[in-house]
Amino acid sequence: MEMEREKREEKPKYKFNRLETLKLIGPWVDAHWDGLRVAKKEGKKVAWSMGPLFPIAYAMDIPCHFHAGYAAYCGGRKGVPPLLEAAEAEGHILDACSYHRLHMGVISAIEKKLPIREEVMLPTPDIVLSARLCTEHTHQSDAIYRHLKVPTIAIDIIPAHRESDFKMLENYTKRQLTEVAIPFLEDFCGRKFDYDRLSELLAVLKKASEIRNECWKFFELVPSPWTLWDWGVSIAPVFYLMGQPKTVDYFQQLKAELQQRVDQGIGAVHPQENFRVYWDGWVPWSFLGPISRKLLSFGANPIVGKYPWEFFPHPEGIDPNRPIDSIVEQWYSYMMSTRSSPEFALPFIEESVEKYHLDGMIMFASRTCRLWNLGEQDIIDEIERKYGIPGVVLEADMIDPKFFSEGQIDTRLQALFEMMEARKRRRR
Amino acid sequence: MEQTLNQIFNLVTDPYTGIAAWKERLQKKVVGCMPMHLPEELVHAAGLQPVVLWRSNEPVTLGHAHVYTFNCGLTRSVVDDAVKGKLAVLDGIITYDLCLQARELPFIINRNAPPAYLETVYIPGPVTAPVYKDFLLENFRNLKASLEKFSGQTMTQDALRQSIALYNRQRGLLRQLYALRRQTPGLIRAKEMLAIVQSGMLMPKEEHIPLLENLIAELPKRTVSSGKKARVVLSGCMCQTPRFDLLDLIEEEGMAVIDDEIYVGGRYFFHDVAETGDPLEALAERYLNRTIPCPTKVDWTNHWGDYLVDWVGQQKAQGVVTLLVKFCPPHLCYYPDVKKRLANANIPEVMLEVEHEVVSLEQVRTRLQAFVEEIR
Ligand code: SF4
Ligand code: SF4
Repeated sequence: MEMEREKREEKPKYKFNRLETLKLIGPWVDAHWDGLRVAKKEGKKVAWSMGPLFPIAYAMDIPCHFHAGYAAYCGGRKGVPPLLEAAEAEGHILDACSYHRLHMGVISAIEKKLPIREEVMLPTPDIVLSARLCTEHTHQSDAIYRHLKVPTIAIDIIPAHRESDFKMLENYTKRQLTEVAIPFLEDFCGRKFDYDRLSELLAVLKKASEIRNECWKFFELVPSPWTLWDWGVSIAPVFYLMGQPKTVDYFQQLKAELQQRVDQGIGAVHPQENFRVYWDGWVPWSFLGPISRKLLSFGANPIVGKYPWEFFPHPEGIDPNRPIDSIVEQWYSYMMSTRSSPEFALPFIEESVEKYHLDGMIMFASRTCRLWNLGEQDIIDEIERKYGIPGVVLEADMIDPKFFSEGQIDTRLQALFEMMEARKRRRR
Repeated sequence: MEQTLNQIFNLVTDPYTGIAAWKERLQKKVVGCMPMHLPEELVHAAGLQPVVLWRSNEPVTLGHAHVYTFNCGLTRSVVDDAVKGKLAVLDGIITYDLCLQARELPFIINRNAPPAYLETVYIPGPVTAPVYKDFLLENFRNLKASLEKFSGQTMTQDALRQSIALYNRQRGLLRQLYALRRQTPGLIRAKEMLAIVQSGMLMPKEEHIPLLENLIAELPKRTVSSGKKARVVLSGCMCQTPRFDLLDLIEEEGMAVIDDEIYVGGRYFFHDVAETGDPLEALAERYLNRTIPCPTKVDWTNHWGDYLVDWVGQQKAQGVVTLLVKFCPPHLCYYPDVKKRLANANIPEVMLEVEHEVVSLEQVRTRLQAFVEEIR
């Protein structure tokens, strides 16, 4: 073991080859969140969306927040700690979802006019839309309502446990959209729902996601010209930044850059990609820097994960002429909300092992989010047995630094990579 | 009466042996139901015997390989019991997406210790639009069909009506016991009441009813110490039972629990099912109706804090002891606002975390002492 370590330390230091196209994202995301604040100042109504209902707000031309996107943004801009502290001061308990606490921190900052940096603050919502993909989404909107008493609506999007339940759940969700959410929004806006606008958004989304899928193909190459973290920061254009024509250009440019890399024989990890790993759970938004550096020190490239694969993985099924049906089918039959259940995650990971030539699995278990976690240990077990690749659990959190212990993460990664090295050698 | 209480305590401290014994005697298949919102009547009317899944008294060991330490005690304990083979006493298990943690249970159970029958249903979170009733009914109908298939017995409307009547009867008796406790604080100890309610979740109602009748007849004969106690109510505590020593501590520190709205308690029997009309609809209505606000349901205009303020007033209680199941997201997210609402109404409140593992009670004792001083 000692020798191994020494050998690794002798190796040249690894680094990521950065993609130029990615630089477009930062300003674009900033503009989105800034746009919300500007809209509010100009007297426009703005929405908060707990869960994935923002497209219906966009269709009505309402600037809309998306809670996980905001958490990622806030994490990336190092704005999380003071907001979590504000929530704690209000009696929120650390064991509660940190996205929940983050938003409660924002509410407290609004109510008490706390001095939070403007760029990470949200404007007070005029309406709250909630889709209960995770039960926590409605706990959040409930709590927002209790404080701000703004019009609030929630629908259920229950992830399925069996394929045979897709149709029932799709019908249920469609009915809620057309009988509950959309009429509520129409009432709020005082005009009919703009289905044509939703169709337009979906047409652009379809195109962007199709090209994105071509970018995903590059992950199958060894070495891979890009890394999961690159894709992580590229999610927004096919999610809460959906529908803008430049999203199509973005993925076109990205694809060209990836192709160019392949042509020149350049991989994402310099000088070489040693290990290819599966990443389970959230992209660790607040800790992306430290975590990616840790993996990099082993020459490891995270390639695929069920969460980052949730964003319209089957755009071929999007039919802009049937906008509501299409969205709901994407959530179920086309494996978006459904992929979070371990029943569907397991086959996805099995398929990924071969498709992406994986050497190991990292389960990023977020202490305060219990949606992706349960079942992870069983999945490691199953995959290890079937494919002989090892896995490890890292316990941390998506954004709360209180649950981020470097020591624990280092020890577990060390063990994992030693195991992977040994198995790789055996295979050779 | 003492014998009845002994029987009850034996069952709740060792459900495995207790259930196996009556199962053998009655020759019935037993189906474990995830707590809170499943209609046990439906299982019963299919000729099966429902029980409500419980938290064991053992620390989690083998379960660690399947469920993280930061999940609630009930889910960890159920997984642990399942992989230890202790749930083999159950012929079936029904789960639903009550919360994030309950959601993944069927996957883990199915992989590691599948019972003969494992069913998952979907229960809507929101409750106020017609679509929710339709969806719930659709799921109850599916569950009915699936139960019939497992039991090999068709469920008639009449059978379901009879089950509902039986369950209402048991609920009514529990309400009578609660009324006795309210009339004479200290007459029934907190842990006794909890054990009485829980025993009804772990045995056939047909057999629980005579026990309740016996208690209702005998308990008033008990002598109750005349010392003045502070009147408190218990709130919260989803799914899992608190440890008895925690309840004892509340009483040892000079409080009498006069009522509660915890799940293994007042929440379980608060509402009857209508005995008229379509029985399946009646079961759905029981869930959809506004009863004690439940953080696992989505009905934000019905504030739990408001409810508590009214209820505490009606009970003339001096304070609220909140029992919060450690790592229970629905309650965690709601609790701070409940606390605030109570504070605004000048109602003293103290929160105790309900853990699965043994914890040091000394810290809890100190907090309770401070609380008692505040409310006296
Ligand atoms: S519990 Fe997890 S999935 Fe649910 S809102 Fe929180 S972070 Fe999101
Ligand atoms: S106690 Fe809370 S977290 Fe545990 S299963 Fe019940 S609702 Fe879920």
